[in-house]
Amino acid sequence: MTVGAKVKQTIATLKGIKGTLEIYAYQCQDQESASVYQEGLQAVSEITGDLEKRLKNLEFEEPQYKGL
Amino acid sequence: MREWTEILLRSGGLFFIALLLTRVMGKRQPSRMNSFNFVNYMVIAIIAALISINVIRDLALGLIALGVWVVLAVILDYLALKSKWFHDLIHGKATILMKDGKVMEENLLQVRYTGEELLRELRSKNVFNLADVEFAVMETTGDINVFLKSEKKPVTPHDLGKKVSPQPEPQTVILDGNILDEPLSNLGLNRDWLKVQLDSLGVSRDNVFIGQVDGSGELYVDLFDDAVQVPQPKVKELLYANLEKSQADLLSFALDTKDKQVKDMYLKNAERLEQVREKLEPYLLR
Repeated sequence: MTVGAKVKQTIATLKGIKGTLEIYAYQCQDQESASVYQEGLQAVSEITGDLEKRLKNLEFEEPQYKGL
Repeated sequence: MREWTEILLRSGGLFFIALLLTRVMGKRQPSRMNSFNFVNYMVIAIIAALISINVIRDLALGLIALGVWVVLAVILDYLALKSKWFHDLIHGKATILMKDGKVMEENLLQVRYTGEELLRELRSKNVFNLADVEFAVMETTGDINVFLKSEKKPVTPHDLGKKVSPQPEPQTVILDGNILDEPLSNLGLNRDWLKVQLDSLGVSRDNVFIGQVDGSGELYVDLFDDAVQVPQPKVKELLYANLEKSQADLLSFALDTKDKQVKDMYLKNAERLEQVREKLEPYLLR
């Protein structure tokens, strides 16, 4: 598996985490827990953003592995 | 009037009067009463019984006696609410039976307890070893309450220095296969949400005996048909595992790359993910 593919996989996992966190942030009753989930959500989306940027670079460097 | 009709009428009337009076006198439970309260209730009960079976011939006299015992009791209760001094006067004070791990023999004598009885009461509080007790007190109701030495107390998350998430009380949303709308709307959910959850568990609504939603919005169901295995919600554990996996991925990317700047980016993000994971741990694993 190329580095690009691995990064893509991690991005997918992170997006899954993001989705689950979002659900919890909305459906939990307690304000405090909701804010903790929100914080986690924020951090995970920023990390995902960083990785996506990196993926673009990788694809630019090695265009033969472009795409899903 | 024939005697039996009189007794019939008196008993019927007193039945409802007694019902009313006990309502007026409050919600105290017989086992939680102090001895004077107990005497008070007994006298009222006996007077009522005597009037009812016509031992006290004159109805008016009987009712006066009944009224005095009830009104005085209510007045005393009211005064005890208003004044601490009065409260101590009629209810007495709690007696300290053990202090700093030592039995106070004089106080034990004062409440007429033998050592054997003290041990029995302690055992009924699940304390078999006298050495474990820091402080024991006899309440005015005669109950004994025990405060254990700090090293013998049950461990709480606070003692372990562990952070735990607040847990609101669970709401019952399905009973006997019927959806309860009020608790559902308390949680900000609706029937459609419930339908989706039940579908994802693969059970039909009619098969659910009890369904509860916990504070974080997870549905737990108990089925009529116990042969059916319902998958328990494991989403949180999975989420935690995924966070760990992603963190490991980021670290391995950091090892693979030669570019300094990219390496820093991976390491920074791995650290950030670890912080997130640590912060979420009490909420996801408990």
